[in-house]
Amino acid sequence: MSTLDAHAGHHEEGSYLSGPPGIMAKVWQWATTVDHKKIGVMYLFAVLFMFFVGGMAALLVRYELIDPMREVLVQTVDANGDIIETTATQGENLKDLFEGLGMHEDLTGTQIYNRAFTLHGAVMVFMFIVPSIPASLGNFFLPVMLGAKDVAFPRLNLLSWYIYLFGSTFGILSILMGGVDTGWTFYTPYSTTTDADHWRVVLMVTAAFILGFSSILTGLNFVVTVHKLRAPGMGWFDMPLFIWAVYATSIIQVLATPVIGITLLLLIFERIMNIGIFDPAMGGDPVLYQHFFWFYSHPVVYVMILPAMGIISELLAVHARKHIFGYRAIAFSSLGIAGVSFLVWGHHIFTAMGELAAVLFSGLTFLVAIPTAIKVFNWIATLYKGSIVLNTPMCYGLMFLFTFSIGGLTGLPLATLATDLHLHDSYFVVAHFHYVMMGGTVIAFLGGIHHWWPKMFGKMYNEPGALIGMALVFIGFNVTFFTQFFLGTQGMPRRYANYVDEFQTLHQISTYGSWILGLGMFVHLAVFIHSLVAGEKAPANPWGGLTLEWECESPPIEHNFHHEPIVKHGPYDFETTVPPHWDPKDYPIHPDAGKATH
Amino acid sequence: MMMPTLATAQPGALEKLIFGPKLPASEPAAMADGLFMMITWFSVFFFVVLMGLMFYFMIKYRRREGVPTEPSPHHNTLLEIFWTVVPSSSLLVMFVLGFQGYTQQIVSPSDAMELRIEGNKWNWLATYPNGASSPEFQPLSRKVIESADGMSSSTIKGRDYPIFYLPENTSVKFRMNSQDVIHSFWIPEFRVKRDVIPNRYTTYGIKTPRLTAADTYIHQETGEEMLGRDMWVFCAEYCGDEHSRMAATLRIVPQDYFNQLMEDWGVTGLPWEEGEKIYKQMCASCHLIDGGKLVGPPWNESSDANGQYGWGYPVSLESGGTAERDANYYRESILDPNAKIVKGYAPQMQSYQGQLDEDDINNIIAFIQTLSEVPPNPHLEGEGGESESEAGNQAEEAAGSES
Repeated sequence: MSTLDAHAGHHEEGSYLSGPPGIMAKVWQWATTVDHKKIGVMYLFAVLFMFFVGGMAALLVRYELIDPMREVLVQTVDANGDIIETTATQGENLKDLFEGLGMHEDLTGTQIYNRAFTLHGAVMVFMFIVPSIPASLGNFFLPVMLGAKDVAFPRLNLLSWYIYLFGSTFGILSILMGGVDTGWTFYTPYSTTTDADHWRVVLMVTAAFILGFSSILTGLNFVVTVHKLRAPGMGWFDMPLFIWAVYATSIIQVLATPVIGITLLLLIFERIMNIGIFDPAMGGDPVLYQHFFWFYSHPVVYVMILPAMGIISELLAVHARKHIFGYRAIAFSSLGIAGVSFLVWGHHIFTAMGELAAVLFSGLTFLVAIPTAIKVFNWIATLYKGSIVLNTPMCYGLMFLFTFSIGGLTGLPLATLATDLHLHDSYFVVAHFHYVMMGGTVIAFLGGIHHWWPKMFGKMYNEPGALIGMALVFIGFNVTFFTQFFLGTQGMPRRYANYVDEFQTLHQISTYGSWILGLGMFVHLAVFIHSLVAGEKAPANPWGGLTLEWECESPPIEHNFHHEPIVKHGPYDFETTVPPHWDPKDYPIHPDAGKATH
Repeated sequence: MMMPTLATAQPGALEKLIFGPKLPASEPAAMADGLFMMITWFSVFFFVVLMGLMFYFMIKYRRREGVPTEPSPHHNTLLEIFWTVVPSSSLLVMFVLGFQGYTQQIVSPSDAMELRIEGNKWNWLATYPNGASSPEFQPLSRKVIESADGMSSSTIKGRDYPIFYLPENTSVKFRMNSQDVIHSFWIPEFRVKRDVIPNRYTTYGIKTPRLTAADTYIHQETGEEMLGRDMWVFCAEYCGDEHSRMAATLRIVPQDYFNQLMEDWGVTGLPWEEGEKIYKQMCASCHLIDGGKLVGPPWNESSDANGQYGWGYPVSLESGGTAERDANYYRESILDPNAKIVKGYAPQMQSYQGQLDEDDINNIIAFIQTLSEVPPNPHLEGEGGESESEAGNQAEEAAGSES
């Protein structure tokens, strides 16, 4: 069923990347495209740019924390024996840095720090990690893996891209006007009263509000695409697990995002029109905001992690040439996580809620651990008797199992009420969610980008270079964030620009780690640029994958397939099927294959 | 399960690595540490098993050219049931132990000393039962570096923080509220925090430890080494510019020394006496304190056909149901009188929002407390973070049935 060879005689169809001659014509073609692949690639570059912005803010945050802020009183005895006293401050690293650049001279050191960590959080959450995998890799590969020409509503897809750009513009405007200091969670009444004479907070909240619509439309599009556009022969349980994960994600996006939209709108009303909803000074209830906010923002945690889990299922199966273990368990656990995710928002508010509610939410929170654990067990079992190759995508897949397991297990003492009372809002929480969000989502995203890079751009990347980047990311990440678990248990609160002396050593180690991590990311950037400029041409199926994207050319033609593909084997039947565009001699099938597979 | 307690636990090297050199300061804190260590060992076990398998498979089943993969099952129902049930039941154990520890950590016994905590941007203020508050401060850190020639010295210091004194071996209940945004009162050595919210009281209780001869601190002014134990209080909920500098020192001292301080810092009017003055001026025309009925219900401990009155007794509501007469109830009744109407009364009271400040409200509550035999903290539990005191009551019953 090789679609490539069968159509050698057909008229030439160019890759989706080839456009009309002339720069302006190309720009116009990309700006008005309804091709899901072009939209996916534009999203990819946009979210990677946002990752760069958020990452720079993270490096600033770590730079400030390398030492605490202190006042220094210098007493000097002059020639007459009089004591001369001068005062200075030390450790205001960001203030010194920005003063050197002539920026933010009116702000204090702690104010600059507060803006930096808010910038990091807001950009990373709303502009990077929520759209990251679904909007870029999801947009590109969901239709291809289903054997479709495009998503169900291509024009809606373009609209959601422009809504994303429009929303991000508000966020960037707010940053350029000086940024906000509310934290990405915009807790009331702080967020409704800070910076009262300025529009920056409203702009940032508006950005998050608008970006929500982009999420909703993309999710809606994917749900319909999965239901209606599967290739002939592809039943629900023949879909790749990446599709299952993106499908579960899309359901959460469609159901949860409207709630944050309403909440942020109420916040804007309160700020602009002084309607008392959350601010107790106007008769509102500040904790109500937290309930509204986390009712969206907890499910959204799974919007971030579920697609990553989908990528991991693909990476491990393809690069171990192994049928995924417990396909249905993984597929259903995605839906299970999506369902339970709506019931656990209260664990973000344990220290602000009544006792009975806290107990209920603690119990519900433990529920979500179960499908997550099942997935990890299944992935490890998938490796059993595989044929494992340690290239960059696989290394990221295995790294995910390492870091995500730590992230998941350190969630246990946070779900346990007695221990959470201590750990809540401490660095332990910071370390935990970075192990889940970065050690989970970002690591899987990096693995996914390497895995599908040859398909997206038709070029191979430099494997040794990418492996060096991978190793630096692994070391840097763990040095940065593992230390923060200890900071948390020893009593370091989060969102602190300053700290007591006993925490300095651990903070310093964490900051050095962030530099290694940053270096690893720049190595990856260099490898990607090198690949685009001078990369070797990629074959149609460099890894021996069985899902439908490996039947297309690299890069795919505009309509993906020359003929509508017909699905005759499962996505992970590596033991019985020779992958498309692959020489059977290079891909021996075990004589017992097919006997012991159930 | 044996939980380490203060009496039995000598923290090992691992505990010291995790929690730092400072010992947990109370029994519930020690239990929380024990639970944390239990979860940690559970996690380490699973992590080692999973990663061990992963690295073993990685090496054993590495790709070799021309060698096909061996067939293996695609799923195994028994195995999958096993690895669903075993972790689930472990999680259930964690949940139950966490619940038990939680009730102990926020509980305060009925005779607990009540310390009022007020948070504002960016200070903590503590008020003792006699209306006094601590006038003492000390800097976050102080290092003096002498230059080699002795001609100059640099003093490196942080901002000044208030010192809150508490007597040793005493139950203390914090009744907290905020003047502006949300803060959170965290004492790491007691392993507990709770949010401090505007327009509402939140509470939790601690039991201060007994002092040993090893517990000493250097007095910030005299430089003398004295018997006592200093611990940090941090604000744990982000509250703006100087969030990271919103701290305090909690100093546990011998009872005699504490009593002496209370005497030295004594204020002119005791809270309940001040409250009585406000009562006579503003409240007495509608509320009696001898059980009689005027426009509003009486304040003292009494009862009639509609139920009981007075601090600590449940109130029957006109709208049906009951509420607890606790600090939050009285606070709400003063500021938003129509929110809860006592059965048999009409909604006729005006709000005193803007006319009475935080201290006034607190003084009135202190006065009302003197009119009832029920001690100021009648419950095993605090009043709870939310206005629905039903939630608190149910959890309390659950806690009571286990103790």
